[in-house]
Amino acid sequence: MTEVAPQVVPIFATPFGLASVPGADALNPALASLLSQRATPERADMANHQAHTFQSRPNLFDWTEEPVSWIRTGLIDLVSGFARSINEFSDEQFAGFRVQARSWFTIVRPDGCVPSHSHANAAWCALYCVAAPQVAADRFDSGVLRLHESYRPSMFTDATNSATQLPYRPGHSTWRPVPGQLVIFPASIVHEIALLRGTGELILVTAIMRFLAPGQTGIPLW
Amino acid sequence: MVAPNIRLTPQFAVPFGEAMLSPCEPLNSELEKLFLAREHEEYRNPTPSHIPQQELFESRFNLFTWPEPCIRELRQFVLDGVTKTMMAASTLQTHDLARLTLHNHTWFHVTRHAGSFISHNHPMASWSAVYCVRSGDPVPDQPESGLLRLFDPRQGAGAFRDPANAQLKPGFALRPLELRLAEGQLIVFPSYLFHEVTPFFGRKLRITVATNCWFF
Repeated sequence: MTEVAPQVVPIFATPFGLASVPGADALNPALASLLSQRATPERADMANHQAHTFQSRPNLFDWTEEPVSWIRTGLIDLVSGFARSINEFSDEQFAGFRVQARSWFTIVRPDGCVPSHSHANAAWCALYCVAAPQVAADRFDSGVLRLHESYRPSMFTDATNSATQLPYRPGHSTWRPVPGQLVIFPASIVHEIALLRGTGELILVTAIMRFLAPGQTGIPLW
Repeated sequence: MVAPNIRLTPQFAVPFGEAMLSPCEPLNSELEKLFLAREHEEYRNPTPSHIPQQELFESRFNLFTWPEPCIRELRQFVLDGVTKTMMAASTLQTHDLARLTLHNHTWFHVTRHAGSFISHNHPMASWSAVYCVRSGDPVPDQPESGLLRLFDPRQGAGAFRDPANAQLKPGFALRPLELRLAEGQLIVFPSYLFHEVTPFFGRKLRITVATNCWFF
């Protein structure tokens, strides 16, 4: 047998960004406190009501308080950097884009979750962890972000295509929220926050974003 | 100007079969009793495809080889349902079917409070089915408790939404199908469909039987 090693490259890859937001240690406690105080029925998004989970209306980035201004700037900067890194726009081109974002916060309490969903009319979804409880000993997947594998390239499996190594391994992708960390992924990917077990609350800020090129038309309203 | 006479048809449609066993209670009572008696290590699936939860018991995949009369009755109902769905959805004829052997992997789930099953599909099978033995009790403030959610296979197709595609009729709509199974209900669907069971918050038991089928 010839010793020829083929070149193997991932195709159809999905970008997934992970970052630590500068200043999180200093501002997260104030942000957590503010969001907890404002998790009130009049600020809830009743269209996404879940028992044991509070989700605010998607106007968080309109708030003027310092911790919200900080996270708005941090998220937009990081998502912009992420979007730049996977494209080939010049500085001038990128500077001409108009950023649109909608944001809300979610407080997941024990036995709460965020069901599987995706976001229409947006390019990117960013999820920032403000606070997270201890990992539940009895449930490995408590409170994780689960990004769904939404299709399999083949319904035929054998020993060599069902247990491949990353980045080819079939299956969902998960991220355990860590305070101060942010993840970015395509908004069209179905995702969920798995059931939170144990004690404590998971506080998340979500932003969906899109970048409009000069003169771009046909963008549906949010 | 001539007004177009549009003929609208579903294309790329997903076949979905449904049947009710009626009456189902005598059989379901026997099944429940049998499953609960065998809800232990000897009968547990030793190679689960997903990391198991303590709130959900999954049996070995050989349920339809059990000799008990209640299992044989269920087997007949479920596999007949799969075969009829397959025949209705395909161009196979009765004489074609006679040359085929139906193979299956079949198991039962017992789900308790906070149990769920993450999204998955079933490679190496063509048709899957779920039969509901016990639906579990509804939870008034948690309408999504214990739903079987079948995901739309056209992932990404709904990422652009405007008023003209946001309210498509059933069959055309780009959204998951969410089912609260009733006791005695059988559903049949292609094995390629991703599906999940949402967290169940009832205090009673949710018991289902699932099968994957292939024909050679």
